[in-house]
Amino acid sequence: MSVDDTGTATPVVAEGEPASSEAPGVRSGGHSAVLYNVERFALPALLVIVLVIFSVLPATGSIFASAANFQEVGFNYVYIGILTLASLIPLVCGEFDFSVGSNAGFTQIVAATAMARFHVPLGFAIVLAIAFGAAVGLGNGNTVARVGVNSLIVTLGTSGILLGVVEWYTGSQSINNGISGSLISFGSDNSLGVPDVVWLLVGVALVTYYVLEHTPYGRYLTSVGSNARAARLVGLRVDRLKLSAFVLAGALAGVAGVLLVAKNGSASPEAGNVTDTLSALAGAYLGATSIRPGRFNVLGAMLATYFIGFSVAGLAIAGVASWISQVFSGAALFLAVVVSTVLGRRRAGTG
Amino acid sequence: MSRPMDDPGASGVEDGSAAAGGPAAVDHPLALRVSHVSKTFPGTRALDDVSVSVENGTIHCLLGGNGSGKSTLIKILAGVYRADPGGRIRVHFHEIDADKTSPEWARGAGLHFVHQDLAIFNTMSVAENLALGRGFPVGPTGNIRWRALRRHARTVLERFDVHVSPSRLVADLRPADRTMVAIARALQDQADASEGLLVLDEPTVSLPAVEVDILFGALRRYAAAGQTIVFVTHRLEEVTRIADRVTVLRDGRLVTTLDSAEVTKERLVELIVGRALDHAAANASVMEGEDLALEVSDLWGGPLRGISFGLRRGEVLGIAGLVGSGRTSLLTTLFGLQPPTTGSIKLDGAPVSFHDVDDAMDAGLGFVPEDRSESAFLDMSLRENLSAAQVAKYWHGMRLRGREEADDARRSIADFSIKANSERQPFATLSGGNQQKAVVARWLRRKPKLLLLDEPTQGVDVAARAEIYRLVRDAVAAGTSVIVVTADLEELARVSDRVLVLANGRITHEVRGPDIDPSRITELVLSATGDPTDPANPDMEVSQR
Repeated sequence: MSVDDTGTATPVVAEGEPASSEAPGVRSGGHSAVLYNVERFALPALLVIVLVIFSVLPATGSIFASAANFQEVGFNYVYIGILTLASLIPLVCGEFDFSVGSNAGFTQIVAATAMARFHVPLGFAIVLAIAFGAAVGLGNGNTVARVGVNSLIVTLGTSGILLGVVEWYTGSQSINNGISGSLISFGSDNSLGVPDVVWLLVGVALVTYYVLEHTPYGRYLTSVGSNARAARLVGLRVDRLKLSAFVLAGALAGVAGVLLVAKNGSASPEAGNVTDTLSALAGAYLGATSIRPGRFNVLGAMLATYFIGFSVAGLAIAGVASWISQVFSGAALFLAVVVSTVLGRRRAGTG
Repeated sequence: MSRPMDDPGASGVEDGSAAAGGPAAVDHPLALRVSHVSKTFPGTRALDDVSVSVENGTIHCLLGGNGSGKSTLIKILAGVYRADPGGRIRVHFHEIDADKTSPEWARGAGLHFVHQDLAIFNTMSVAENLALGRGFPVGPTGNIRWRALRRHARTVLERFDVHVSPSRLVADLRPADRTMVAIARALQDQADASEGLLVLDEPTVSLPAVEVDILFGALRRYAAAGQTIVFVTHRLEEVTRIADRVTVLRDGRLVTTLDSAEVTKERLVELIVGRALDHAAANASVMEGEDLALEVSDLWGGPLRGISFGLRRGEVLGIAGLVGSGRTSLLTTLFGLQPPTTGSIKLDGAPVSFHDVDDAMDAGLGFVPEDRSESAFLDMSLRENLSAAQVAKYWHGMRLRGREEADDARRSIADFSIKANSERQPFATLSGGNQQKAVVARWLRRKPKLLLLDEPTQGVDVAARAEIYRLVRDAVAAGTSVIVVTADLEELARVSDRVLVLANGRITHEVRGPDIDPSRITELVLSATGDPTDPANPDMEVSQR
């Protein structure tokens, strides 16, 4: 028995005893309560194992276990981390946002153009990027929630349009000059030995966690994702909730766009694309297999992002060909989702 | 089409026996003979020594109320159930012991079933629908031979008098044509109309009157060509229009088989209910006064055509009616799911108008929908399911108070006798009865002024059923008013203080006090048409203001 983040205990089930006769179809015995906890903490355990192995292995240890490497990995995966949070919110209410990566690519151009071409102060450029991102989300959300088109198709279309618009507007040229110096230094400085951008990710993750887990709004989104019809019948405005989830996802994609500029010191039409979206969705799905198995959750998604980040970095230091890293992230997602589906089915008693 | 020459009133049981000695007469008059079939379920005898004969080329209606055994009989014919040993069933020349039927036997004997939901595919063409379940004509590489498919479809459609193009999507057809496509699909491989037997199980439930006329025209033509049809329905006015013969079952026993020409609707109701009609019909009294929790006047919208009634505080009002009578729409309209076109709703004397569910909830309404797939959050916890209608209550000090929510959940689990290991248990792992208790508890926790229950005990075991109504009773004692809709009229009679009968979107009768008993309600439900010109409803106007 353990205590989870909401301060309540996991079910108490006597070891080796069959499910009490008064609760038919309930978890059969202590066995699956154990399994449940194994499932919850498998991903954090794997992360620790990966960290230990690459730190101990002679081939990688000296480089991997250095502060510089941890800063590097932490820094590199902030952008994907924020996109993962962006894609998480629509997923919680049962919808896909396939445009978060392209939207980040779009909003980095918005931010950079505002500063470089229109000489807008940094603060206003950031607000503009987030507002444009949210506007894209509003378009997605309106089409999904009010017109009723499948979200995967809508956002796939949006993604294509954004990529095209970026290429047209930039003429495939990067914006390298006129970026605010304080934004660039934010992208490269450390505080307390941790890159500033990592602190940004921690902040955004905490806010997202709070909104999803500790506000009625988060519970409403979860209810809509669980059963939209039932959500309507307990008085939830399903359309508005879905719309808002896409707007939030768009706004977070705007944050990710600003971060891209900070990180790269420039805005390149190549940055921010569908591959990033796929990494983000992979992180969200992988994260849904742990901490609160079967539910998209912030902590799981962050652990998943850095599990893949550190694994890929370790493999790269070990000198493994880069395609192996790609296979690794794909296989990790695949395995995690398969295992958790099988366990989930057993939990629900339908296996 | 052969009409029976013997005494039709008494012929039901005897019809077959004359022919029983010598089988294989070429023009055998019987398409179906069921002799001495019984079916026992643990605790009940669903069919008790039932014998029915259906003549070749006739339309034969099978009637009966809830629990009469007619669906059991159909399922035995279809091979879904096996009857008790001892009975015999014969379809044309295929005879079998009634305890040995199987779906394969039914198919081989030429029994074809078309159920209420038709089982046709709306997004596919008529030709494809006809080929499904029969097989597509294929070429050498396994390709579908579309031309042959369309040719076959055209022949079948012509044969069954369905005037639609084979390439039309079924979704684009009018409802009667959809039913006819389903019938054509069932019968397409029958070489001759007089070979098989078509069983139609409530085919008109979702058809508007015009469409019913079209369908009946087609059925008449099929019968004239020699097709035998067994027709199950609840709508008695249809019986006199379409049937040649009628068989009535009650409590698992054969009541009688008669010629439909000689029977009136009133007589049929008497046969189904088992006693003489009570012509001193209950009048719907108009209630006024301050003590009304709910006052509905002249409500129109969807299938509802001018509904007016009052509901007292702490009263349980039952709504009885057939599918399509507007019974569910009445609840969803009150709950703000679809706005009424006209009419007024007053809660505690004050007029209200709900634009959406949350308005209705704020006003103190609760609604348990008919289907648990519309109320259960299966992958969320029991606790979250219990608090789904009052999440905001736990939001204070900028946090959702999990501990408070858990305490309330544990209290509800105890108060509502929900059997669960903990409040964190995934909802999907609870039994159906406990899920339903939790859904009812979700609303009762809000202490609603008015609780709307649509089939609250569907798919729930007997013990949980009693529990659920105990919970509702407790709430009623505390001042909640309840409107309950259920097709189980015994249950309705047991739990209601007053019952309104709904037909075609109108209230046709009001039953109160000692009049509330299942057979009285069944009788009213079956005889009500909701048609103001129908002389069978002299008291119709009373509840219409």
